[in-house]
Amino acid sequence: MQKEATLAQPDVSELDLVQRCQAGDTEAFDELVRRYRTRVFGMIQNMVHSEQDAWDLAQDSFLKAWRSIQRFRGHSSFYTWIYRIVMNVTIDWLRKKQIKGGDSEFDDAVQLRQVDPASRTVPRAEALPHQSMERSEIRARIESAIAQLSPEHRAVILMKEIEGMQYHEIAETLGCSIGTVMSRLFYARKKLQNLLKDLYENI
Amino acid sequence: MKTFEEKWTAWVDGELHGRELAEFEASLPDKTAAEAERTAVKKLGALLRRELGAPALSNEEFFAHQLRERIARENAGQPRRFGAGIARGFDWLPVRRLLWAGSVSIAIFLALAVFVMRDKNPAGQSQYLTQILNARVDPVVSPNATISMFQTKDQRVTVLWTEGLQSLPADYAAK
Repeated sequence: MQKEATLAQPDVSELDLVQRCQAGDTEAFDELVRRYRTRVFGMIQNMVHSEQDAWDLAQDSFLKAWRSIQRFRGHSSFYTWIYRIVMNVTIDWLRKKQIKGGDSEFDDAVQLRQVDPASRTVPRAEALPHQSMERSEIRARIESAIAQLSPEHRAVILMKEIEGMQYHEIAETLGCSIGTVMSRLFYARKKLQNLLKDLYENI
Repeated sequence: MKTFEEKWTAWVDGELHGRELAEFEASLPDKTAAEAERTAVKKLGALLRRELGAPALSNEEFFAHQLRERIARENAGQPRRFGAGIARGFDWLPVRRLLWAGSVSIAIFLALAVFVMRDKNPAGQSQYLTQILNARVDPVVSPNATISMFQTKDQRVTVLWTEGLQSLPADYAAK
């Protein structure tokens, strides 16, 4: 009981939680999942553009993390470590999907999703219907543009622009050099600039 | 040695400093166009953050529940070995312990049952325990003497049977 009360406290360090996980404590893992599930899900959803697929891939990622938690040595932050798993799972999935029959991002696989009005990152009142429709169209345009990027380019630009990660963190997550990250970022931005120019110029 | 793409990206993100920054900006053929490009990249980033930022995970508790179920299933199917610490709150361990204790209990019960059944039913063997006692009889005094002991298992009766004794040694005691 005492452990349940203390686990949810934000001052319980990740390292402590990880060590408990390594000793087989599923409650500690539960707490780590609670801390990262929204960000992980959001990241994957922006990569694959499907809520259901993002759900499944987030589940697979956390399950994979549980399986390999013994191998986490604390050389990087847990955040970077879990993102590396997430990216491996998601990029593999995207590659397999492309091999199976091409990316279907331009058909009905593109879903309109509900943005939580209470989300801290979207602190605005509920939009009017015509505004919602407009935003949905904008979002669909952005997703279509991102879908034209390779999985690696998607990962880099989303981690940089949405997650605000540093070059070295992205490099560590993707297992590549910082130079590669910067180069991928250059080309991903160029491509999105060409595809979305009319959208961002009005900001 | 950084490529142009790397330097450009670092410049756009404000990651170029000092001499490297000065050299890069000096190498730009059109500084105004470059600044416009940098502004465009910033706007693109703002657009992405505004439209893609933090998609909500609906039903977070169900997500956690489903994950717990999957982990529990995996643990049940593939017992893990943990090298460090005590497996606190780990739900497969009590199950394994229960299974282990149950198996041992059944084995002990079966062993006792077999022993008792064999004791009750000697399965055709003699119901008497016979022991020939000849260690204490002096062959000089009683050359043909035999002493036997019969014991019925059921009634716990012991019979000492002697033959050919001239006399019973004073210090004799059957053991």
